[in-house]
Amino acid sequence: MNAIRRRWALRPRAGRLERANYKWIYLFLLPTVIIFVLFYAVPIVQVFVTSFTRWDGFTDPEFNGLRNYINMFTNSAFLQSLKNLFLWCLVAAVFHVGFGTLVAFVLFYRPRGWKLTRAVFMIPNVISAAAWAMIYRFIFNNDFGVLNTIIRFFDPDFNVQWFYQSPWAFWAVTLTWLFYAVIVTLVVLGDLMNIPSELGEAARLDGATGWQFIRHIQLPLCRGAIGTSVIVSLTARIAMYEQISLTTAGGPGNDTMSLSILLVNGILDYRYGYANAVGVVMFLIGLVILFVVNRLFRMDETDY
Amino acid sequence: MKLKKGLTRTFMYAIEIFVIVISAFPILWVIMSAFKTNGEILTNPLALPTSITLDTFAYLFEAYNFPLYFLNSLLAAGVSTVVSLLFYSMGAYVIAKFKFPGRQLLYILFTITLLVPSHSKTQPIFSLVMQLGLYDSIWGVTFVYLSMGMAMSIFILKAGFMAVPKTLDDAAIVDGASFLRVFWRINLPLAKNALTTAGVLMFLNNWNEYYFASLLTVSDSQRTLPIALAFFTSEFSYNYTQLFSALTVVILPGILLYAVAQEKVQVSVATAGIKG
Repeated sequence: MNAIRRRWALRPRAGRLERANYKWIYLFLLPTVIIFVLFYAVPIVQVFVTSFTRWDGFTDPEFNGLRNYINMFTNSAFLQSLKNLFLWCLVAAVFHVGFGTLVAFVLFYRPRGWKLTRAVFMIPNVISAAAWAMIYRFIFNNDFGVLNTIIRFFDPDFNVQWFYQSPWAFWAVTLTWLFYAVIVTLVVLGDLMNIPSELGEAARLDGATGWQFIRHIQLPLCRGAIGTSVIVSLTARIAMYEQISLTTAGGPGNDTMSLSILLVNGILDYRYGYANAVGVVMFLIGLVILFVVNRLFRMDETDY
Repeated sequence: MKLKKGLTRTFMYAIEIFVIVISAFPILWVIMSAFKTNGEILTNPLALPTSITLDTFAYLFEAYNFPLYFLNSLLAAGVSTVVSLLFYSMGAYVIAKFKFPGRQLLYILFTITLLVPSHSKTQPIFSLVMQLGLYDSIWGVTFVYLSMGMAMSIFILKAGFMAVPKTLDDAAIVDGASFLRVFWRINLPLAKNALTTAGVLMFLNNWNEYYFASLLTVSDSQRTLPIALAFFTSEFSYNYTQLFSALTVVILPGILLYAVAQEKVQVSVATAGIKG
């Protein structure tokens, strides 16, 4: 009897109506399943498997063990891109998310013009990252760029090629995304608005000052949103491509090299095995970030 | 106390102004520069244009394939958005409304794809498009765009369909409505909000996409606007007026779409917490 009950518990109980609909249900799922298999399941398996092979895309892949990984970890461009990614992640987690959160708090108190600010802040996010990279190339241009023109008001002899000179290039690339944290702002603002207003009243009755309220009530309560923002902005660092490829292309030297640039170069050189090894590293870094941030912000716990 | 309040106020306005300047100024500067001559751009980058003419834009559209790039972008982003919206709403609909074996597993599989950096799958997707004979074709790009935003759309659409009361479905079934009819006539129209949210996000992403489009096309006739823009830099190199005009043409449609669907875009970004 128990065994029977358990068997029933294992599968969702389907009504007569639903069973009659199975044909339709699976038909409706088919397109999504096909896309999932073609663009996710098969590619991920393929990337993992062929990362252990030598493969030019024309002949059959040839197993070569850890060769690609050894090549990768002895390549200075790869090591530099790991270092860059780490530094960019750090900057993103602290300053990018920090700035977005700050703006969220400002907007939460609805100063005059908060709706306009929120609307305008979104604009850099709705235009193509490629176009945005070009715009920044012009802003940082030495001859007619906005930045150097303004600096020359104070120092007429100032000359810097931001995207082409070490160590500026790294920070010039960083500036193309650093302050554009509207996603962080919107996500955190959403959480702030969800905090029950009784909490604010209770805190005020207990004599909490504004800063104490922010520090001990609001910030801890929107840690879920902040955690999400950290994940989103760190994964955006892994995927960063246009901002580098269209400005510095990884230079000067390897100053702004990234995994995405190495991966594309691998494909263009027909070193598919190597490119996929880089892909595996990207994938794993993504997973690690997700896991660590989730733990750090205790995102799976609820508060009210 | 009063002083402190004043300081906080000033600080808040300073932040607001900073945000508006860094977000709007670069774009205004690009549009403004598109109306200046090369000499004006070089001698005084911050000055206003002296005359407003649309000559450069007219030239761009005549001498280069701009209308074609525009159509390519519209085709790739538009077709992929409409088709994947249909596909994903079918999937999300049955996941939201029916019990069947594998339901939970499929939902997890579909949404977990969010965690896979799309760049890491570049080579297999590249090879897939090659095998299908769609390399260097705008259709290949469109095909790849179908897969983008899957997790996010399923997530948004599932919530949308779950909000449609089941009693409405039952009433329609009693009246003899078929499975298709219940989906098409009742659920789709009532999940309109979720559909626009997912649609706007997908369209914006695909309209702006650069990475796959740059890898999957080579010929001029297959370029989308962002790709064409990248090629322009090398082609015009020192004609800044044309470069700025090209940039203006590329960024304006996205901004206009945003201006029309502003609330939608903001709400969707806030609920999804994800973009790109």
